[in-house]
Amino acid sequence: MLYQRLFLVALLVVYAVLAVATMGYQAAFSYEPVGPRAFPLLLLVLLAAGTVYLLFRPGHLAEENDETPLTPQVLVKLVLCVLALSLFAFFFERLGFIVSSFLFAIAMCRLYNGGWITSVITGLVMSLAFYVLFDRVLDVPLPLGVLSGLGS
Amino acid sequence: MDTLGYLGQGFGVATTPLNLITALSGTLIGTVVGLLPGLGPINGVALLIPIAFALGLPPETSLILLAAVYLGCEYGGRISSILLNIPGEASAVMTALDGHPLARQGKGGIALSISAAGSFFGGLIATIGVTIFAPLLATWAVAFGPAEYFVMMVFAIACLAGMAGNKPVKTGVAALIGLLLSCIGIDSNSGVYRFTFGGLGLSDGIQFVVLVLGLFSISEILVLLERTYYGQTALKTSGRMMFNMKEFMFIKWATLRSGVVGFFMGILPGAGATMASAVAYMSEKRIATRDNRFGDGDLRGLAAPETANSAAACGSMVPMLTLGVPGSGTTAVMLGALTLYNITPGPMLFQNQPDIVWGLIASLFIANIMLVVMNIPLIRVFTKILAVPYWALVPGIAIVTAIGVYGVHATTFDLFLMIVIGVVGYILRKFDFPLSAILLGFILGGIMEQNLRRALSISNGDLSILWSSPITWGGWALVALMVVLPIYRGWRQRRARVPLAP
Repeated sequence: MLYQRLFLVALLVVYAVLAVATMGYQAAFSYEPVGPRAFPLLLLVLLAAGTVYLLFRPGHLAEENDETPLTPQVLVKLVLCVLALSLFAFFFERLGFIVSSFLFAIAMCRLYNGGWITSVITGLVMSLAFYVLFDRVLDVPLPLGVLSGLGS
Repeated sequence: MDTLGYLGQGFGVATTPLNLITALSGTLIGTVVGLLPGLGPINGVALLIPIAFALGLPPETSLILLAAVYLGCEYGGRISSILLNIPGEASAVMTALDGHPLARQGKGGIALSISAAGSFFGGLIATIGVTIFAPLLATWAVAFGPAEYFVMMVFAIACLAGMAGNKPVKTGVAALIGLLLSCIGIDSNSGVYRFTFGGLGLSDGIQFVVLVLGLFSISEILVLLERTYYGQTALKTSGRMMFNMKEFMFIKWATLRSGVVGFFMGILPGAGATMASAVAYMSEKRIATRDNRFGDGDLRGLAAPETANSAAACGSMVPMLTLGVPGSGTTAVMLGALTLYNITPGPMLFQNQPDIVWGLIASLFIANIMLVVMNIPLIRVFTKILAVPYWALVPGIAIVTAIGVYGVHATTFDLFLMIVIGVVGYILRKFDFPLSAILLGFILGGIMEQNLRRALSISNGDLSILWSSPITWGGWALVALMVVLPIYRGWRQRRARVPLAP
């Protein structure tokens, strides 16, 4: 309950920041009675009203969210998972798809309790198979990165 | 009748070899996507959009692909519900209530085949419904002006919140967040950049594929992370695989009723397959007077939600095709796909591009038949897929998601944006905000603002244009109904609770 209220307060702060930003949105010259400012401002007012209501009456959380409380173990895993995703995004073009997805797949496999050997095999198979499938067969271009010397 | 002629034309489109192969692969992909935890129809469909685009499929073919995947998901979701007691996707939650007990009693095979039959009849009833109602609604919707459209969108949002059951305010807030997200980027009327804060990456707005995959794939991956501690084993199916005539007669009426209920729930914007299966299950439970064994393996309790979710999946095509207002999260994604092809869904679609509309409707018939034929003999293959462990499944989903996002614009900015959206989505989900409402808001937002501004331009800023025609009065009346409904429901619940209190 406390966390939920904290989150709602954080949302309100975000609305306030956005509302300040919205104030500045004015068309240099306007051909129409409603400018770019009105609609977002209306939404923000409604959002603030709804969020304040929730702040007073947050209601009970659904069973599935109550059943799986965030233990420190899960929290560590979540942070690691987001970190792995971010590193994957960071190296996606720098190292190329094959290398970055190989490393990323190993990390994800380990996070989901796969063994070291299975992880490395999964990473190898996935990175190569997906590259061939998407880049070569399905025409979705993927970066080769450091391996670009090898590709033709 | 005109309709039959058009339908024949549609079958002409749908039975070209390319479209038949597309429908077949779509149904296969859809079933697998539906039965795997972590992938639902929404992100399954979103992942295919960049691929369909890259392959250069014509618009009607890619729409057929997406619709086949959607329908396939509704079939596939039941398999993991019945055998694992873990719904493969949200609309199969109700299926687990009676399906899993049946499997535990050793009737897994019967449960799977009868639910496939239910899905088939649901899809069939709803596709017939689409054939009849869609053209009617389209001829009527041609009369819509910008003000009417705006009211319609307000109704869609109100409907989303009003039908959301126990958390109308959270659903409403989620939909508003979606609407607000749609404002990001350059405003096409005035050229003002909104909420980009000087960055270039957002100047074009958030790509909807990025939003969908972030909200649904990334947040789902994070949710699956919590569940690695929980063990799971699939029940073996043994004995008779096919249901017999007696069992079929037993569920006949439940199937028919649920098919009709599902179709109409599907038409309502925002209610979608999940609501439809819940409503069908609850009403069948109430209707059943003769040997009511709901909750521990009643065949009707299995057939009703399965019929309803397939029917709703087809039914949600009606508002998408005729009004350009999506009936569910997945049709919202399909709507986004259409706009990538520069096709604006709406009543004019029936006049200008009948091939797309009727080809899609005809292919719904075909995909439905393919699915029921495929599902009964291939069930053993599909159950094998359930044995794939998370450590192999999740990295695969994550990498394919990244490829899907990268495939849209080929920028890594989108990858980071996807992760941020995914994390925020995960937090919102933890606090019970429904993510599909955000998606619907996002898809509706652009059209909603455009229509509001266009309407007020026509009236020169006079707000009364929003309630000046009979259609808008009807729209506002419906909006009022949707606002009152949850208040009434809450009041009734509180009143029912008072006598119980000491």
